[in-house]
Amino acid sequence: MEAASVHHHGPPAANRSSRVHPALLGMLLFIISEVMVFGAFFTAYFFIRVVVENAHWFPIDGVDLPVGVASVNTAILLSSSLTLHWAQTSIKNGNHTGLKVGMLLTFLLGATFLFVQVNEYIVLTGEGITPQSSAQGSVFFALTGLHGAHVAVGLTLLAIVTLRSFRGHYTPEEHDGVEVPGIYWHFVDIMWVVVFTTVYIL
Amino acid sequence: MISHLRAPGWYRATFWTLVSLGLSWAILWAANGFDADAVTGIGFAQVALLAFPLFFLGGLGAFDYWFYWASGRPTRPEDHSGHGATSWQDYFRINTDHKVIGIQYVVTSFFFMFVGGLMAMLMRAELAAPGRQFVDPGAFNGLFSVHASVLIFLFIIPVFAGLANYVLPLMIGAPDMAFPRLNAVSFWLLPCAGVIMMLSFFAPGGSFASGWTAYAPLSVTAPPGQICFTIGVQFAGASSIATALNFLVTIITMRAPGMSFFRMPLLVWANFSTSLLVVIATPFVAASQLFVLLDRALGFNFFNAAAGGDVLMYQHVFWFYSHPAVYIMMLPGFGIISEILAVKSRKPVFGYRMMAFSLLAIVVLGFAVWAHHMFVSGMQSWIRVPMMVTTAVIAVPTGIKIFSWLATMWRGVLKLDTPMLFALGFLTMFVLGGISGVMLAMIPFDIYVSDTYFIVAHIHYVLFGGSLFTIFAGVYYWFPKMTGRMYNEKLGKLHFWMTFVFFNITFAPMHLLGLQGMPRRVADYSEQFATWNMIISVASFALGLSSLIFLYNMVASWRGGKRAPANPWNALTLEWQVSSPPPIFNFDHIPTVVGGPYEYGVPGAVHGVFESPATASAEARQPAGAVSSTAKE
Repeated sequence: MEAASVHHHGPPAANRSSRVHPALLGMLLFIISEVMVFGAFFTAYFFIRVVVENAHWFPIDGVDLPVGVASVNTAILLSSSLTLHWAQTSIKNGNHTGLKVGMLLTFLLGATFLFVQVNEYIVLTGEGITPQSSAQGSVFFALTGLHGAHVAVGLTLLAIVTLRSFRGHYTPEEHDGVEVPGIYWHFVDIMWVVVFTTVYIL
Repeated sequence: MISHLRAPGWYRATFWTLVSLGLSWAILWAANGFDADAVTGIGFAQVALLAFPLFFLGGLGAFDYWFYWASGRPTRPEDHSGHGATSWQDYFRINTDHKVIGIQYVVTSFFFMFVGGLMAMLMRAELAAPGRQFVDPGAFNGLFSVHASVLIFLFIIPVFAGLANYVLPLMIGAPDMAFPRLNAVSFWLLPCAGVIMMLSFFAPGGSFASGWTAYAPLSVTAPPGQICFTIGVQFAGASSIATALNFLVTIITMRAPGMSFFRMPLLVWANFSTSLLVVIATPFVAASQLFVLLDRALGFNFFNAAAGGDVLMYQHVFWFYSHPAVYIMMLPGFGIISEILAVKSRKPVFGYRMMAFSLLAIVVLGFAVWAHHMFVSGMQSWIRVPMMVTTAVIAVPTGIKIFSWLATMWRGVLKLDTPMLFALGFLTMFVLGGISGVMLAMIPFDIYVSDTYFIVAHIHYVLFGGSLFTIFAGVYYWFPKMTGRMYNEKLGKLHFWMTFVFFNITFAPMHLLGLQGMPRRVADYSEQFATWNMIISVASFALGLSSLIFLYNMVASWRGGKRAPANPWNALTLEWQVSSPPPIFNFDHIPTVVGGPYEYGVPGAVHGVFESPATASAEARQPAGAVSSTAKE
C-alpha cells in the first residue's frame, strides 16, 4: 500500500454528476413508489366501483359519506401546505421565528385533519359502514386509512422538524432537514386531493 | 451483560426481537379488551411477523444513526468504523460498505438458492414415478409454492442486487452508494423475509401452498402458513425498493467526471432500467398482499364477491408487478452478459446506444403486457388482443439485444473460459425460452397449453437458462475482484458443462409433456408420462449435484485459490483498474473517464484515468486554459 492511502480517514468525496441533491432525488423516487402504492389501491377502488357486476358506490343502505365535513377537512390539510411553504421561505430568508410558527401551525393543522378523520370513522362505523360490511366499505377505509397512515408518518417527520427548529437548528444555508420532509408533506396533501375527489366527489 | 444489550449487535437484536413478541401479544391482549383467552395464535403470528423484523433491525443497529439524528443527540462522526471487513464477523453486523453488503447479499441469496433447489429435488423425487412416493399432495403444493417464492424473491432478485451493489459503484467511479445506511437496511431485511417464508413450514396446515402467485380467494381462505408469504413479500419488496432507489440516486448523482450516460458500462444501464422497474412496479405486489392480509386478518371484503368484491382485481394488481418482475430478474443479467461478451471477445459492444435504448424500451413495454398471464382467467376477452400484440412487440428490443451480442462476438477473439461459457449458454438457452415466450403470447396457443408443463419449461428456460446462467457468469467473472482469488477454471468448466447438459435434459422434455397435456402443480400424473418424468428426475438430480461443484469451487478458491491480479481479464471498465479486492474506499482519487467502456481492440484506448479532470483533459489536448488551471493546484 502506498503511504498516501494509509493516511486516509475517509473516502474521497464523490464527484457530483448532477445538480440534484441526492437526498432530494431519493425522496422524489420514494414518492414515485408511494404513488404506485396508492395506484394499486385506486385499482382496487376502480374494480369494486366500476368493473364488478352490480357495481355501485355510496350511499350504501341510505348512509352517504360526509362530503361537507370532508371538504372542510380538505381545506384544513391544504392550508397546512401553505403554512409549511411559509416556514420554508422563512428559513431561506433567515427568519427563525417564521420557521417555528410555520412548523407549529403545519403540525397542528395536520393533527387536526387526522383527528377529524378518526372522528368520521367513528361516526360511519356507528351508522353501520365498516370495512367488514361491504367491499365499498373496505375500499373506503383502506384508501382513506392508507392516506391517514401517510399523514401519521408525515406528522412524525414534521414533529421532528418542529422540535429541531425550536432548538435553533437550520440556517439559510443548511435547511435540507426542512426541505426534504416538506416534499413528503406536500405529496401527502396532493394525494389527499386525489383521494378526496375520487372517493367523496365523483 | 447490560452493556451487551445496550450496544448494537446480536445480543440487542435478540433481546429486541423477544420484546417485539411480547409487545405483539400485549397489543392483541389490549385490542381484545384485556382478555388473554381471546388472543389467537394466528392473530399473534400476524402481528409478530410484521413487527419482529423492524425490532430485529433496530437491535442490530440499523436505525441507530437515524434515531440519534432525529432525537437531536450528537451523531457519531463519520469515522467509517462501519466500513469494510477485516474478519468474517464483520459480515454479520450492520456494515455500510457496499462491497461488504454486496458479498452479504450474494452469499445469503445463494444460501436460499440451495434451499429452493433442495425443494425442487424433493419435488422431482415425488414426480419420478406416477402415484405417491415421498410427500402427500398437500405438502407437494407447499413445496412448489415455497420453491418458486424463495428462488424469485430471495435468490434471483437479490443476487442481482448483490452483484450490482459490489461492482456498480466501482464501475461509475463512486466511493460508495449514495445512501450506505439505507443499503445496510435493505440487505438485513432480506434474511428477515427468508426466515418468515421458512417459518411457514412450521405453521399448522403446512406451508403456503397457493403457488408463488397466491391467487385470491385461495390465498384468503388458505391455512395460516399463507401469511408467511403475504408478510414475507412485504419485507423482500421493501428491501428491493430501497436498493433500487439507492442505485438510481447513485447512478444519477455520483458518476465520475467524464462518465456521461453514454459512457456508462451496460451493466450500469441495465441496473438503471431495472431499478426504474422496481421503484414503479414493486409497490403493486406489496399492495396485492396487503389486500390479502386485510381480507384475512381484519375481515375486509376486497375479494369477497358476495359483498361486492372482485377476485380478478387480485390478478391484475399482482401481474402489474409480476410481469415487470420477470424483467427485474432479466435486465441485470443482460448487463452482465454485455460486460462479459465484450471483454471475452476483445471487441466493442455492437450497437452500444441501441443496447441502452432497448433496455429502456423493455422497461416501458414491460408495463403494458401484464394481462397475458390472465388469458384464461375469465377477464374481458377483448383485453387479450392488445396484450398479445404488446407482448409480441417486446421481442423487438429483446431481439436487438440478442443480435447485438451476436454481432459483438462476430470475428472476435473468443476466450472460452467459464464466464464466457455461461454467457454463451445464456444466449442459446434464453433464445429458446424467448421463443417459447412468443409462442405463449399467442392467445390460441396459450389457451391450449395453459397450466401445463409447457409453462414450467418456459419459465425455467427463462429463469434458469436465462437469469441463473447470467448469475453464474457474473459470479465467476467478478469472483477475482470480490475475493482477491482466482477460481478453479477446470472445476468451473465442469460445472458449466454439467449444468448445461443436465439443464436441457431436465427442462426440454417438459415442452413435450406440456403439449401432451401433463398439468403442472399436481403431485401425480397418468402412466403415459412416466418415462419422460423418470428421465427428467434423474437429470434434475445430476443438475442438483452440479451446483455442489460450484459450491466447492467457490469455497475452496476463496480460501486457498491463486492470488488474483488487479485485472485478470484485461478489461477496461473501472472496477478492474483498482486492486483485487478493491481498497476500502474503492479509489484513492476519483478517476476521470475519458472514453467509452468497451473500446477493446482499439489501440491505445482508455476508459478511465486516475487523474483530476483538469489534467486528464489537458492530456486530451483541451484548450490551454485547462492546463493553467492545473498549474495552480
